[in-house]
Parts: sequence; structure tokens; C-alpha cells
Amino acid sequence: MEKLTDEKIKKGLSVFKKGMDGKLFSHLNSCVHCGLCAESCIYYRAAPESKFIPAVKVDLISGIYKRYMTLTGRIVPGLIGAKKLDDRMVEEMTDLFFGACTICGRCVPHCSIGVDISYLVRRGREMLTRMGYVPRSLQNTINTALSTGNNMGITETEFTETLKWLEDDLHFEVNDENARIPLNEKGKDILYTLNPREPKFFPLSISAMAKIFYMAGESWTLSTQMYDVTNYAYYSSNPDEAAMITRRLFEEMKNLDARTCVLAECGHGSRAFRWEGPNYIRQEYPFEVATSVELLAKYIREARISVDPDKITECVTLHDPCNLARTGGIWKEQRYILSRCVKNFVEMSPEGIDNLCCGGGGGQLAMGEYNDRRLKIGKLKADQIMDTGAKIVVTPCHNCVDQLSQLNIYYKLGVQIKTVAEIVADAIIIKEKPAKNFNICPVNNQHNQI
Amino acid sequence: MNPYLWFATAGLFFCLSGCFYHFFRLLGYGKPQDFSKPLGEINPAVRYAFTRAMDPRKKESAFLHLPTYTAGIVYHIGTFISIAVFILIWLRFVQFGWVAFAMACFLFLSSASGLGILAKRILRKELRTLSNPDDYISNILVTGVQLFTALTLIHVSPLPVYFAITGTLLFYLPVGKLRHTVYFFAARFQLGVFYGRRGVWPPKTDR
Repeated sequence: MEKLTDEKIKKGLSVFKKGMDGKLFSHLNSCVHCGLCAESCIYYRAAPESKFIPAVKVDLISGIYKRYMTLTGRIVPGLIGAKKLDDRMVEEMTDLFFGACTICGRCVPHCSIGVDISYLVRRGREMLTRMGYVPRSLQNTINTALSTGNNMGITETEFTETLKWLEDDLHFEVNDENARIPLNEKGKDILYTLNPREPKFFPLSISAMAKIFYMAGESWTLSTQMYDVTNYAYYSSNPDEAAMITRRLFEEMKNLDARTCVLAECGHGSRAFRWEGPNYIRQEYPFEVATSVELLAKYIREARISVDPDKITECVTLHDPCNLARTGGIWKEQRYILSRCVKNFVEMSPEGIDNLCCGGGGGQLAMGEYNDRRLKIGKLKADQIMDTGAKIVVTPCHNCVDQLSQLNIYYKLGVQIKTVAEIVADAIIIKEKPAKNFNICPVNNQHNQI
Repeated sequence: MNPYLWFATAGLFFCLSGCFYHFFRLLGYGKPQDFSKPLGEINPAVRYAFTRAMDPRKKESAFLHLPTYTAGIVYHIGTFISIAVFILIWLRFVQFGWVAFAMACFLFLSSASGLGILAKRILRKELRTLSNPDDYISNILVTGVQLFTALTLIHVSPLPVYFAITGTLLFYLPVGKLRHTVYFFAARFQLGVFYGRRGVWPPKTDR
């Protein structure tokens, strides 16, 4: 680790000096050190060590704030736990903020006071980022996204070729030679995005959506220039890099003149583009944004596609991605979809906005440095899955799919992991004539109708 | 006016000034601008943040720690009673009648809760790791004020001692973690705004 310099400290403290607002100020000053947040954290639950208590993470960043930004902290730092920013502190912050937090936010609603602990962790990550202390593996992923347009470094040729054979596959699936996966077409209702893991490792999830779009008679397109829904700079809390990535998708929406940007099944990607993105680029979007889960629920509700729950006979359970459910408000939609697509559904406990994180969020999957810890804390989710007795675990997030797939192997769960789109595609009834091309209403106006 | 009352009076004005300073400084920072399109409404979510979101059946910090949670509630009620009694005594209202005995009994209970919370902080290794001198001082001062308020109500403690301890607490309140008197409301408001915009609060089942 590079030594901390005065210049780096100055950059780190700019989080407080230039970035202070009422929200940050409130949360920095609120923690009362009750420690009652401990059991709400998956890290602490899996390995009950003091350092994993969420309040300890709050204390790191608020301690630094007190030391450099408050009179009491400067005069009598020992009294109020004001902390000096030095090499030891940077090491501790890096380990706890990057390596021991998925920013799942589960601790937040359970906090006695209501401290937004995950928000403070993100600001702590921002401090480390400004000082140049992002874990190398995470920064490499971001750099790939910045230089190639997607976090997997997939070339346009590779991408287009993958889509070509998926289109051939679609012809066979729906028995229609004219079925297409439109590319770069202007003026469509939907620009659909992808998690780059899909063309690289899970192309069948693209097939699934293509099949659904075909049956729904949707006006849609993919872009070969910018299709990546992910934004790993959200994980590093680098607002400049996050803005660059957001702007690319923003500009592509405008370039292709699409009405709605539909975000593929990706928790952090949905959050980063829909909720954080407008603030990264400091402007409102002139187009609608919806998650694919909301869209699929809408298709079923409006009978644009028909599904048969008898097609899936196995017991199915659902893992709620934290960024979609707890901080995105999308947790009823996937349940509605599953209620229509599967016969035998069993909930995990806890679920919905109180779910347990799978352990793969917060950039953990990109940071090989913390693999062992990530798999160990995943035991909580593994136990939840086993308790349901389900054979299929559905989750509307490719990051979660990846983590759950690894947990499946590590803990020998013997389950299949599927996205919501794959379940819908499996349950869909292929009709000779797909639905007519509907004029799309903004998907999220239907939010409260489920 | 006797010097102890002066001390407590100075403490009261320092405390009020300090709290107003924190409050207006907080307002001065403003709320962050949010360019995202909301999925839900903020006002119901903020109301939810201050009411049903604090239901102990919903919060693991409560139902997984019922004795500590209960002690904390009793402790805070004792604090509010102590503040109210101080204001009344400061305003020269000292005829509490039979209510004095009832309040004193409750304050003995809340002092015991405070001592219990202090003991937990000292004895539990994880809490010791998390704690700093401010945590202990805050607890000792608040517990002390509650205890001496009780003793004053039943005419056991002389007023000068009561004013000395209460004044000390009032001087200390804006300095350390007791400033959560102000920031608790700010934090919960911010949570309501955050979850309200995103359609998370109030939960759809609660609407």
C-alpha cells in the first residue's frame, strides 16, 4: 500500500470540506454507539467479531470527521473518539469499507437512531478513492469499463456474433424466421441494457428476454455501442468515473431516441443508473427508466404474454437483490411474476426489504482479495436456501446469480440459479401470433398496481 | 440567586445555544439535490420514519435485545421527566404534591436502567471496543441527573447538589454524543426522504 501523504489526506478530507450536505452532516453526528446494529449485519452474523459491527464502520469515518472538522475533536480528540488519518487508519478503512461491507443497507432500518450506515460506508469508500486506495481488482474492472464500454472488455465483434447465434436460436424457439434481436435501431420504445456477464457467461438470459419481447410484440432494441447496465464506479464511490459511465448510457438513449431505458436484471446497475446516475451527471433524465422486473410484471398483468405455471414443477424460492428491493422499492413485482409462473413457491425468511444479502454485493465479486471472506459470509444465504427445500433459486440480479452460483458449489446446495426472465421464458406460452405492438405506458406508473 | 442555580442557569442557556447552533448549522448545509425521478412520496415516508418504522416488532435492534431496548426506553423517558422537573424547579415551581413521589419512583427505575446500560458497556468486550470516554461520561451524567432529580423530589438531596449536577450535564450535552438530541430527528427525516423517494417506505403492505 502506498504511504499516506499530506496531499492524499487533503484529497480525502475534501469529502467533508467540499462534499458536506445536510444528509452527510446528520448521519456523521448521530451514532450513539449502542452496538445494537450488530446482528443486522451479515458479516457480524457469520463471524461475530467486534470489527464487523456496523457502528465500528460509522465510527471510522465519523471519527475522522470529528478530528479534522470539529473544535472538540481538535482540542480533546481522545474524549470523543476523534481519529487521526494515518497509514494504519487507511488499512483499517480499506479492509472494513471495501472488504467487510456489501453496502446492502440491511443495518439501516434496524439502527436505533436511523443512521444511514451504508451511505457513510460509501462516503468512506469515496475518501479512500480520492486518496488513491481502491482495491486494484475493482479499479481494473472500472478501467476496463471506461476503456472498452463494458466491464468485461467484450469487443463489438464478439458481442455482435453472440447476438447473431442467439437470434438464430430465437427463430427456432418461437418458430418464426422473422423473429429478431434488433440492434442500434432508432426510435424504439425500449432500449434494453445487459449485464456484460450475460453475453460472456449467461447468453440464455438474453435469449429469454428476446423471446419475451417477441411474444409481447415489443418495440425494442439493443445497442452495440453502449449496453452495459453496470457501473462499478458506484462501488468505488468515484463520482467522476461513475458520471462518465452513466453519461455513456444517457447519451446512447438520446442517440437512439428510445423512450424507456429498461435495465437488465442487475441490482447495483439498476440503482446506479436509475437512482444515483441523475445525481452523478447532475441532471434529470428526459426519458423513462424501468427495471426489467417491472416490465415483465407489466406484460403479465396486461396479458401481453401468457404464462403457464404448470410448466415449472420444481419448488422455487426467491432471493431479493438488496439494491432492487431494500433501496429500490422493487420487491412485489418479482413475487407477482412468480405467483403467475410457478406453482410451488416458498419464501425465504427474512425476505423482501428485510432480506439477507447474498454476500456478493458492494463489488465483492470483483475484489478477489476478499474471496474467502465473501464465501464464508455467504453461508447465511446458503442456510436460507437449504431451509426452503427449493430446487430453483430465482434472483433478478446477475451479480447475485454469480455469488449464488459460487455458494451453490461451495456449500453443495444442489440447486439451479435462474433470473426472473429465464423463469418467465420457461413458463411462457408460445402463441402463433405474438401480441400487437402496444404503445408503451411508462412502466413505473404501474408500480402501485400489483 | 445562589451560585449553584446560576451555574445551572448558565448551563441551560449554553445547552440551548449549543442545540440551536447544531440545528441551524444543519439547516445551513441544506438537503442534497436529487435529480432522480421519485417512485414514492416523501411526506408519508417521513411520517412512517418517526412512527411505525420505530415499532420494536420491526427493528432487530429492539426485538433481538428486548431488555436493553426496554431499559433504553425507560432511560429516555426518565431523561425527559428530569428535564421537565428541572425547568419547573428553575421556574420556581416546587409544589409537586403526590406526583413527586410517583416521578421519583420512576426516576429511580430509570437510573437503574442507566446503570444497567453502563454496566453492559463496561462488561461487553464488543461495546468496550466501540466506546470512548464520551460514551461513559454521557451515561454517568444523565444517570446522575436522573438519580439526583429523584432524590430532590423526595427532599433527600439538597438543591445546590442537584443544580451542580444538572448544570454540568447541560454544559456537556452539546459537546459529545448527547447532541443526538438534535441529530436523531435529522437522521430519521433523512431516512424518510431516502426511502420515500424510492417507494420503500411506507412498505406497500402498510399502505
